Amino acid sequence: MKDFDARWGRLVAAARQVPAAADVAAPYGFAVRVAARAWADDRPNLQAIFGRFAVRALWVACLLMLASVAVDYFSSKSGTQDEYANESLFDPVSEVLTASSS
Amino acid sequence: MADETFDLAACLDRVRQHDQVAARELVEHLYPLVIRIVRSHLPRRVAEEDLAQDIFLKMFTRLDQYKGAVAFTHWVSRIAVTTCIDQLRAQKRRPEFRWADLSEKEADVLDSVLTSEGDVAVNDGLAARELVYKLLGQLKPEDRLVLQLLDLEQHSVAEISARTGWNPSLVKVRAFRARGKLKKLFEELQRKERS
Repeated sequence: MKDFDARWGRLVAAARQVPAAADVAAPYGFAVRVAARAWADDRPNLQAIFGRFAVRALWVACLLMLASVAVDYFSSKSGTQDEYANESLFDPVSEVLTASSS
Repeated sequence: MADETFDLAACLDRVRQHDQVAARELVEHLYPLVIRIVRSHLPRRVAEEDLAQDIFLKMFTRLDQYKGAVAFTHWVSRIAVTTCIDQLRAQKRRPEFRWADLSEKEADVLDSVLTSEGDVAVNDGLAARELVYKLLGQLKPEDRLVLQLLDLEQHSVAEISARTGWNPSLVKVRAFRARGKLKKLFEELQRKERS
């Protein structure tokens, strides 16, 4: 490791001799562009708003669909029971038999 | 910072109220700090201005999170460093290091470092710098960063800790591991013949 450390040390010492780029001032218009974009995302984004409402609308549609299926299921079930209940009250065969026997 | 009279606290207050002029002043004030970090950790094929812009935009969006626990310049440095590391990570695969990829000068410098005990010639400084960047480019972004700050830029462990947010022990451990990886790379290069 010592051998490596010495080699690496010599290499980085040579690399350090090169001065870093002196030009560190912001290029013309850079600060204006960045400042303008800084709060651009704060403005209402139509796409994001549409996306959020679209998701909500999807949930509402799912709930409505489930509710309508449930209502339809229970109403058809109770409708069938009513139909049989009516049938038990009105028996056409017994009516005919009663009429013929009398 | 170039302008010692710059009132950072007052400028930050105005920036928090979405003052565009203050935002511009803040960008101009911090640009030298940010661009130095970007230049020393610039991933391949990424324009330095684009990366600097990303860093400033992150700074503005996270400004509400800055509570003053560390110096503002350190806070910005951390954003810059993590943005550069993220960019380097995004590039994922580092190409294999080969003698053939080095310029004639760089290969001479590497040859001299690997075979002789003498110092690298003064006029080979630029080639040495390019070579160092190429070698560091073989390391993981965090390892590359720590060696660059420690060995090339000669920052202290405490300074690196402040700049990166890593604790001093982590900085030392990362530097040790990074040197170990670099040592393996040196050994590998020594085994391979210069083509």
